[in-house]
Amino acid sequence: MKFHLSHLQAMLLFALMISIAFGFLSRRRPLERVKYIVWSLLLFLLFGIGIGWAMYPFSR
Amino acid sequence: MTDETQTVANPAPDPPPDRAREARAIAIGVAGWVVPGLGHALQKMWGRAIMFFAAVGVLVIVGAGMRGNLFRSEGGDAFAALGYFADLGTGSFYWLAKYIEVGGSDVSHAYGDYGTRFLAAAGVLNLLTALHAYEAARGRKA
Repeated sequence: MKFHLSHLQAMLLFALMISIAFGFLSRRRPLERVKYIVWSLLLFLLFGIGIGWAMYPFSR
Repeated sequence: MTDETQTVANPAPDPPPDRAREARAIAIGVAGWVVPGLGHALQKMWGRAIMFFAAVGVLVIVGAGMRGNLFRSEGGDAFAALGYFADLGTGSFYWLAKYIEVGGSDVSHAYGDYGTRFLAAAGVLNLLTALHAYEAARGRKA
């Protein structure tokens, strides 16, 4: 079994799994869980892409 | 004066712990570590049990499938020891990762490096869920 995920695919999958787990860990009600998961996922992606762009000038 | 100082410094002792409940909570925590989600399943928290099992399972399967570095006990340095501790956090899934990763790790490619992070994150996440199951079994609001 082999997976060749791109950086973006790996980040999306990682962020989704961790967000779901955190949502179920910290919230009890379904609606609150969904809100938490969506917020957490968006912040993961925002910071991931933001840090990626912040490092871009130093990549050359 | 002396009595007041002793009262502040030595508050009233906590009531004796319920040993049976504490032992059950520890057993549930260990079960949650060995099989991700089992600690919550034993407390009939089915949604959490399924999601934790799935989240940790997906991270381990994908991490091993990306040929991430699965640390071993004879690592040598502090970083390897920390990695081994994190990987062991996946409990029985550590052997699942070993079974999937028959060709060994390959961190010469970026996806191998991502796989290493997936495996470590799965372990730390499972330790967190096991701790949550333990706290829930002790009666803390969870």
